[in-house]
Amino acid sequence: MATTARPAPKHSPDAYGEHSGLWSWLSTVDHKRIGVLYLYTALFFFMFGGVEAIIIRAQLGAPNQHLVSAEFYNQLFTMHGTTMIFLAIMPLSAAFFNFLIPLQIGARDVAFPRLNAFSYWVYLFGGIFITIPILFAVAPNDGWFGYAPLTTRAYSPGINIDFWVIGLLILGVSSLAAAFNFLTTIINLRAPGMTLMRMPMFTWMAFIVQVLLVLAFPVVTIALVFLLFDRFFGTNFYNTVSAGADPLLWQHLFWIFGHPEVYILVLPAFGLVSEVLPTYSKKPLFGYPVMVYSGILIAVLGFGVWAHHMFAVGLGPIADTFFGLTTMLIAIPTGVKIFNWIATMAQGSIRYTTAMLFGIGLVALFTIGGISGIMHASPPADLQQTDTYFIVAHFHYVLFGGSIMGIFGGIYHYFPKITGRLMDEKLGKIHFWLTVVAMNLTFFPMHFSGMLGMPRRIYTYDAGQGWDLFNAMSTAGAMIFPIAMLVFIYNFFVSRKRGEIAGSNPWGAGTLEWTIPSPPPEYNFAKIPTVTSRYPLWEGKEVDYECARINSQEGKTSADLGIVMPYSTIKPLLVALGLVTMFCGLIFARALIGVGAALMIFSLYSWLLSPLEPEHD
Amino acid sequence: MKGSDRFRRLASYAFVAALAVAAVSCNEAHPNSTLDPHTDLGREIDFLWDRLLLFGTIVFVLVEVVLVFVVIKYRKRENQGPPPQTHGSTKLEIAWTLIPAVILVFIAVPTVRTIFISQAQAAPGSLNIDVTGHQWWWEFRYPDYGVTTANEIYLPVGRTVNFRLRSADVIHSFWAPELGGKRDVVTNRTNYIWYTPDTSIASNVWNGFCAEYCGASHANMRFRVFTVTPQQFESWVAGQKMPAKFGAVGPTAPTTGPIPPPLEGPGVTTPDGSNSATQAAQAAAHAIAQQSSGTGAVGGTQPAIPRSQNPEANPGARLGAAQSSVAAAPAGSAQPGYIFPHEQVPDYAIPHSPIPPGLKFTPGLTGNAHRGLKTFTSSPCIGCHSIAGNPMAMGTTGPNLTHVGSRLTIAAGRFPNTAAYLALWIKNARAMKPEVIMPTLGLDEYDPVLKTKVTSATGGLTDQQIADIVAYLTALK
Repeated sequence: MATTARPAPKHSPDAYGEHSGLWSWLSTVDHKRIGVLYLYTALFFFMFGGVEAIIIRAQLGAPNQHLVSAEFYNQLFTMHGTTMIFLAIMPLSAAFFNFLIPLQIGARDVAFPRLNAFSYWVYLFGGIFITIPILFAVAPNDGWFGYAPLTTRAYSPGINIDFWVIGLLILGVSSLAAAFNFLTTIINLRAPGMTLMRMPMFTWMAFIVQVLLVLAFPVVTIALVFLLFDRFFGTNFYNTVSAGADPLLWQHLFWIFGHPEVYILVLPAFGLVSEVLPTYSKKPLFGYPVMVYSGILIAVLGFGVWAHHMFAVGLGPIADTFFGLTTMLIAIPTGVKIFNWIATMAQGSIRYTTAMLFGIGLVALFTIGGISGIMHASPPADLQQTDTYFIVAHFHYVLFGGSIMGIFGGIYHYFPKITGRLMDEKLGKIHFWLTVVAMNLTFFPMHFSGMLGMPRRIYTYDAGQGWDLFNAMSTAGAMIFPIAMLVFIYNFFVSRKRGEIAGSNPWGAGTLEWTIPSPPPEYNFAKIPTVTSRYPLWEGKEVDYECARINSQEGKTSADLGIVMPYSTIKPLLVALGLVTMFCGLIFARALIGVGAALMIFSLYSWLLSPLEPEHD
Repeated sequence: MKGSDRFRRLASYAFVAALAVAAVSCNEAHPNSTLDPHTDLGREIDFLWDRLLLFGTIVFVLVEVVLVFVVIKYRKRENQGPPPQTHGSTKLEIAWTLIPAVILVFIAVPTVRTIFISQAQAAPGSLNIDVTGHQWWWEFRYPDYGVTTANEIYLPVGRTVNFRLRSADVIHSFWAPELGGKRDVVTNRTNYIWYTPDTSIASNVWNGFCAEYCGASHANMRFRVFTVTPQQFESWVAGQKMPAKFGAVGPTAPTTGPIPPPLEGPGVTTPDGSNSATQAAQAAAHAIAQQSSGTGAVGGTQPAIPRSQNPEANPGARLGAAQSSVAAAPAGSAQPGYIFPHEQVPDYAIPHSPIPPGLKFTPGLTGNAHRGLKTFTSSPCIGCHSIAGNPMAMGTTGPNLTHVGSRLTIAAGRFPNTAAYLALWIKNARAMKPEVIMPTLGLDEYDPVLKTKVTSATGGLTDQQIADIVAYLTALK
């Protein structure tokens, strides 16, 4: 095993003493600590969304059950989707972006550390804003896709949809700010020698995701602003009254965002797996350039397939043909990724660590989601599949089998780098196998219930429709997830306190982040490394090893090394608070708009006038 | 060694599990399967599906077998040196780019062909049906015949039917899985889908669903499709074109409506109980129907004069005696037009939805259809419902009730159309179907949308008044 006991390091993983206490977390601008905040917050929301899913499955376990009312069920499925996409998977990816991108490219922090903190706080407040209503049964209830005109005031008069529109606008601010930050970081802050084609694959996928975010989020922002104006100020973008409004405008705008969003959700996991598989196979990633190009191709094609969500809408044969064919095309680069991962493992020396199992799990399970995706790329075939449980099965294989498996692999892989300690492998494997069983038992039967005619988004179904068995199976599988998650959470917290000390490179990995101590010092790299290859620790030159030797030394503070670090500051939090308060004003009391705006502008002004870091000598 | 054993064992378990799933799924009835097409469109789609499934399965098996092979074969062994540090292989990568591309061509070509065939204009001479999606029910109009109905379609087999889809409010999606694909019903737009039911499926019932989320009761927006012979269809149309059968005095006009049975929660909520109650209630309704048949169609302008006001005059209509009354009733007496025999409807098309707990109807009440007509005509009902033959009932918000007595279900497929369910439905529709637009009408009932109790000032109806309306509606064959 790779986890043989090591002598305890000179410092405890909790060193760097000034970094403790609540205030230090509220005012931090350190990308690693912000990454950790993202990780904890997103894991919380992941479990929150999971509880929603379990209630959904309990209701559907047998026909004609009324565990929850139709109204509450509709809130549950809406919030399950919204939570998992915007509050769990995207921020889990963001946790890795934050923690890893500067470490992988040899930078001391992200380009805009305070903007980075701002992104997190906006995400946290926005997440709370959109989640609180379900505790009072007034949560958004028109689906995560919020089709107009159902979402307009005429058909959704309550405040439910207000929370959704405003919540997503807030979260969009967070995503966009973060995306510009990471783009700038990756373009400008790479260490000497870290050419684009030497970047670790995770950073590459992160780079592509930021481009997708920057291009896709403005579209949904516009769509949401239209809806906001329709709901609050009586405009007529989506209303049914035939005064020029077109409900399909919403669908186009939403899916122009919505399909790239799928790749925003899955590409970070692809990146993580592209780090995990080579490490535990002891082989470089197979076909690195092709992996980069296929990622780029997926992103480009991802903007040309949106209407495959609308094959039943009746766009006409030309549009259906175009979007059917582009959707099929996108399978090719995706397939290349799968094959290259398998080829990475082939002829390797595979260690079955938990991270590796999750990586293999991604390859095995995402393949199923990819194949069912091709099945509804064919528009006529999709007429029998869309809006059925077959689709639910498909995208859970993509988002759970793809994103979540990759993210769990990433957590097990990078936990030692984040905390300085190893997670327990035995518990990790129990977690993995429980997850695989739960995932397949829950989602595989949905292929059948869907093809046997079960529509999506129904709070109940009648007996005798031929769906009982498959729904019972799905529900049984869903009940295993909480057990798996309990094992994971227990492992996570116990290992954080008492796990084996990891050392700088417990897995024998090859990339830059493994050259520095675990957890990394606040300045990351004592000496900014010079890079000569894709895997500096595997196939580097003398200069790589020399940098690695210097950077692996522990116990030095930034003052010892004369490295200037940015000041901690509470101002990004205050700006975020002002922003969210301002939005709250639309729902609760208009006076809040003024209060929030004042707080935001004042804090922002003060932020801009205060220096980022002490003056350089 | 140990590892590979474990994998082999796991693989065999998985195989057995897959077989079990396959076996069970073959034995169970699947009344809404998309894999059992009965129309030209359904077969086109099924052809594509078969091809997709074939290629998909081949790719799946290949990828997973290679993956499992690689993962087992290249596991770390004792005393193993570092593995070869290969970085890629242009030949291999070109191969696994081109092979999927070639497979996709075999999918794309028939796909494009089917797109253009299925989205061409429907053949001339097709049966047009104008479908209007409402929250949460379906309105079906046969413009060539002047027939309007709700939540139930009759289709002649062998003739292409062209659905013209419009929405009255939000976006819905029209879908009968056994007959063909779905098509969204989009606000401010007319959509089309057409197919030709096979001649082999005459005398069948199919379930239909709304497939696009449309609000609180999206799950309760179902419909039924009856595929019948052309002769039966013509007969049905003839019957539907007539105004309401019951509306004025006739020599044999019914004097007594059905008695809404005493409905007890547990007795009806369990599937079995629901079934028996359903059948009994259906039988009762059937008995009444046969008694009322033969009434001439007369305009409803004159108030109906009941021949007997005594509810005891016709004790045979009591639910308790329903079974015997069915037996005693003359079989198959002259029907106004063909109606799919409800006793031949398979179980999957009969709703089993439970009645909400706490919703009760006074047992033993006898309805009077003539009083019901008057009550209906002087109540808010006419604001939303039309009944041809009753000039006061002109509303268009709710389903057309001209021949409501001939329908299989009420509440868009959520409940069977029997006196028992109809009474509860009129009493408190909003408790029976979440957020339905039809208001709660029963006196002292709690309206879950308005969150108030219905009073006589707000037009609340007593159980007796509801029983009368039920008697009236049930007579509308």
